Amino acid sequence: MIKSNYDIVIIGGGVQGLALAYNLAKNKFGSIAVIEKSYIGSGASSRNGEMLRSAFASNEWIQFFDKSMQLWETLSAELDFNVMFTHCGYLVLASTSKEFELCRENVNTQHSFGLKTKLLNQRDVLKLIPALNPEMVSGGTLQSNGGFARHDAVVWAYAGAAKRLGVDIFPYTEVTGIQVEAGTVRSVKTSKSEISTSLVVNAAGGHAGDVAGMVGVSLPSQTYRLEMIVTEPLKPFLHPMLASLNTLSYMHQSTRGEFVGGAETETLPPAKSLKSTLVATQDMARKFTKLFPGLASARLMRQWGGIVDMTPDIAPVIGPVKKIEGFILDCGWVYGFVGAPAAGELLAQYIMTGKMPPEIQPFNVERFEKGEPIIDRSLVVPSETETEGGAA
Amino acid sequence: MSKKIVCFCHDITETDLINTIEAGYDHIEMLKRFTGVFMGPCQGKMCMQNVLKIFARETGQPIESLRVPTLRPPAEPIPLGSLATETLRGDDDKE
Repeated sequence: MIKSNYDIVIIGGGVQGLALAYNLAKNKFGSIAVIEKSYIGSGASSRNGEMLRSAFASNEWIQFFDKSMQLWETLSAELDFNVMFTHCGYLVLASTSKEFELCRENVNTQHSFGLKTKLLNQRDVLKLIPALNPEMVSGGTLQSNGGFARHDAVVWAYAGAAKRLGVDIFPYTEVTGIQVEAGTVRSVKTSKSEISTSLVVNAAGGHAGDVAGMVGVSLPSQTYRLEMIVTEPLKPFLHPMLASLNTLSYMHQSTRGEFVGGAETETLPPAKSLKSTLVATQDMARKFTKLFPGLASARLMRQWGGIVDMTPDIAPVIGPVKKIEGFILDCGWVYGFVGAPAAGELLAQYIMTGKMPPEIQPFNVERFEKGEPIIDRSLVVPSETETEGGAA
Repeated sequence: MSKKIVCFCHDITETDLINTIEAGYDHIEMLKRFTGVFMGPCQGKMCMQNVLKIFARETGQPIESLRVPTLRPPAEPIPLGSLATETLRGDDDKE
């Protein structure tokens, strides 16, 4: 089944690897194999918060993610599979006057890139979401074209479209080694066979560090577990997606009525386990009932975990590495679900032409060696490079 | 068309499961994600055995060899308010 030679081998059958495979095949790149250790989408691609926005704070993040938002608009039609993209809007909530001022600055930056975001005051936010605790509301940024999509459907959509274009996808196949000769990639060893290739893409999500280690490359990132909860179905009370700068949490209400959310604990130790922790349960319960006092009586139905490969500035690392010819990174993703359509298209462009598209150029791995991380002050994940006030 | 409901939370029928497996969602975790079985308020407590039996039969695998999807906490739904405290009742009991 697995051919002895492929023009490119993509390691990781998640949304990133599959989006890249699809875009390469669409542009008639050549023979493409995607190797996945478990079932497709088994990692963070089917464990994330499904939330879509481009209303960030920095030029680099806005430029890249807004490209992705434009692709999300037509993704179902392009892949001939309903990914259930819903334009319910995305609100970044400010709870203090300082956070509100930050939202004001961010909206100005966002407008300079043509985003149609709106700065909302306390009254506007409470009108939009009356269930919010007024004490936690100072204002916010609303991106009306933001929303959510079903993460599993997106994985299956990319996989199906890639297969129709001739991509070979091998689930339940583990990469055990990568052969490098004279600084150039020669082959990929898997649990089933060895594949000759001169191009390997590391799209292994939470396992990206292990894959990079196979060629002696040390990534600037570490693996962290993020946890989420879902409640029993409730009456509709939360229409838009919501991210809270003050509590580093993110949430939405599903079409079934379930309240779904995640929060980052203040100290997040590196972890590869998918097990749920009580520390996270209580942290989320405190934060969500603080934001929505009415949730105190809502019953928690399930808690789960997923692992991500997180860099010190939370931004991805995309592109080649200096030491190894033919080894390309597509990792360091925390906002990888919303970013997948753009990353897939732009990284495919780079692989086809050798020219790095300007939207992904800033996410090169050398930025850490140069001491030039990308600072974005609108993320709801604690960042090591942030100097004050958490990730606010 | 069979109207045999297997998942009582989301009204998933035996036919739904068979069609899903035939469409290529042939891992128990993919079947769960595609149909929503094990994801309703019962979290699999009512449907798990019957889903596994149907899945084993349709994929030709012995039921003993199937990996049961991870059973996630809590064991039964509990209000968020009872978790949003500094200590849990279990902690008090120990004192």
